[in-house]
Amino acid sequence: MNHLLQIYPYLVAGWIFLCGLYGIASSKHLVHMVISLAVLQTSTYVLLLNIGFRKNGIAPIFADLSPGIITVDAVVQALMLTDVVVEATVVALLLAMVVKVHEKAGTLSPDDLRLMRG
Amino acid sequence: MTSLPALPIALPLLAAAFLAGARKWLRRWMVDLAAVLTAGANLALTTMLLERSWHGNIVYWFGNWFPRGRMVLGIGFEVDPVGAGLAVLASLLTLLALIYSWRAIESGQNLYQPLMLIFLAAMCGFVMTADLFNLFVFFELMSTAAFALCGLKVQEPAPLQGAFNFAVTNTVGAFLILTGIALLYAVTGALNMAQIGWLLGSRHDSLVVAACAFIISGFLVKAAIAPFHFWLPDAHSVAPTAVCVLFSGLMVELGVFAVLRLTTVIFGAGIGAGHPELRNTLLVLGSLTVLWGGVMCFSEHHLKRILAFSTISHSGAMLLGAALGTPVAVCGWIIYLFAHAMAKAGLFFTAGILLHRLRTMSEPALFGRGRPLRFTAVLWLLGGMALAGLPPFGLAQGADLMEAAAGSPQLGRCLSFLLLFTGTMTAAAVFHVLLRVFAGAGDAGPSDRASEVGELPESSEETNRIPGRMFVPAAVCIALAAAPSFVPHAGKFAIRAASLFLSRDAYIHQIYSMPGSPLSVALPPISLVSSLLRGLAAVVIAAALAGAAVGHKHVPRPYRWATRLEGRLFPLRQLQSGHPGDYVVWCMVGFVLVGGCLFAFQ
Repeated sequence: MNHLLQIYPYLVAGWIFLCGLYGIASSKHLVHMVISLAVLQTSTYVLLLNIGFRKNGIAPIFADLSPGIITVDAVVQALMLTDVVVEATVVALLLAMVVKVHEKAGTLSPDDLRLMRG
Repeated sequence: MTSLPALPIALPLLAAAFLAGARKWLRRWMVDLAAVLTAGANLALTTMLLERSWHGNIVYWFGNWFPRGRMVLGIGFEVDPVGAGLAVLASLLTLLALIYSWRAIESGQNLYQPLMLIFLAAMCGFVMTADLFNLFVFFELMSTAAFALCGLKVQEPAPLQGAFNFAVTNTVGAFLILTGIALLYAVTGALNMAQIGWLLGSRHDSLVVAACAFIISGFLVKAAIAPFHFWLPDAHSVAPTAVCVLFSGLMVELGVFAVLRLTTVIFGAGIGAGHPELRNTLLVLGSLTVLWGGVMCFSEHHLKRILAFSTISHSGAMLLGAALGTPVAVCGWIIYLFAHAMAKAGLFFTAGILLHRLRTMSEPALFGRGRPLRFTAVLWLLGGMALAGLPPFGLAQGADLMEAAAGSPQLGRCLSFLLLFTGTMTAAAVFHVLLRVFAGAGDAGPSDRASEVGELPESSEETNRIPGRMFVPAAVCIALAAAPSFVPHAGKFAIRAASLFLSRDAYIHQIYSMPGSPLSVALPPISLVSSLLRGLAAVVIAAALAGAAVGHKHVPRPYRWATRLEGRLFPLRQLQSGHPGDYVVWCMVGFVLVGGCLFAFQ
């Protein structure tokens, strides 16, 4: 049981990754595809947070903690925050592109937007 | 100047921020001048860095967060000659690209110059950082600037679609890298590459192998290795010419660089050393890429797409060199990378001249219209010969060194064939363009959808002359592609850089300020005759293939199958579907392949 609890977050991360992947691969709408990409990204949040998890650990704010108190890993949380920033930038850029695509082509279905075929 | 390593990143970023903010109040030529000066200053800074890194890697800790004992606290840069050399190359290509696009249409709008400078800063950071997460951040900065640069011509639908495909595929690759980094952090609790490498030692259990598969697959997406490569032609055929130069010349190769750096420093004592699984996996993928890219290159009819597939094929060749991983192979890889970057930049600039004069990139539409452009034709021909690997162009020397490092005779023969193939097919594609566009020989060639992708001309000036700002960068690039043969001791410098690059212990010791002893390897003798013969063979076969494709009506019936290679219904072309979802699925196929191979051979 304990072992299952340890491995469970990794399974969740893998499942979210696959969900996002399925969304991108089967997408019929560019906005849907961008959001699927964002879903895929959230799997890395789950993975990172789980890696930094300590049992009974508290938030890593060291201002008024005495030494010896267990906290969760602060480095991983910093990585995740950077990850969020990166993700926000990429999604914003992609959505801006989608808006422009809609202006030019009048459609958002990737099947109708295959100028680059061949 | 102890903070020298930070300057090539800080300077372009500050200049980019200033230009983005003050653009409204500045005249166009001022913005162009400021960007060119910044790139020039970066070239000087990185050259100084290269000179200093020669005597041992330079370590720089941001905010003076030095390591305590074996524990790394801060984020550091470790600059070795290969990293510094790539930063010099990045600055040089950016400088030429900015000169080329001086006063071009799009440079007036769209934050073009700031984005180019951010791209430059990210590339410099990427090659110099010693921190794994920092590597990822620079990777993402580079990618995001690249997505925006690729879709710069928003007035048209094609650049948006190309940039979208590029962005989605590369972002999935970035997540693979991040997952791998997270797994490595879980195993070691460290983010500094040297510290991770030291902590992992020779460990290669399944968790480390999985992390390796994630990270390497992610970087192979950037390196456009088959089957991760589908985004590249879409991105290259729509990006502005000056941006294509940076994409093909350096960005793609940085993917191979990252694979090499990580397999050396992090996995060097475990999966990377003495266990052939990683080497074999990379060799197989590299071979597949060489063949796939070469065949596709020959069957395309859009000038920039031809060059894009040629980049894929050559990227595969470079992965072969990197996979061998011996100092001689890496020395060959360095020379090959430099010469390829210059030759490809020259060809893209030349294609840009055609776009400027004749306003299209489609081979059928350009048929015979290049006849008056004699000097441009000469540049195009020389570029083709450089890709074929004809001495004195550096690709010949690089290919020779990679072959010399093969070890076993069978592998040597395979490598010879693959390197000959990539040279022949990519040169053949360049030559059929030469015959059709500049000589007007044969027929116009089949037209297809991809070749008709319209492109907005990049300049508003009158079109009946070629400005010097376009011609000079093209000529400089083609000339520099031959530099490795003419610069005295270029081979010796490259082998010294390669030995420093592969000295895992020296790299790790340097982080902890401990003396390390770099490898020292002598340059193997290279026979100029065999090199010349191979180059000539590639050029002759390429010319024959191009001739057969152009004059296919005159080819005797028993040999006509060879001309059908160029047909537009070639099955491989159907895989290039234009749907980013398909590309991502192919990336996952590649990822499963890499992971499967690593586990199967373990």
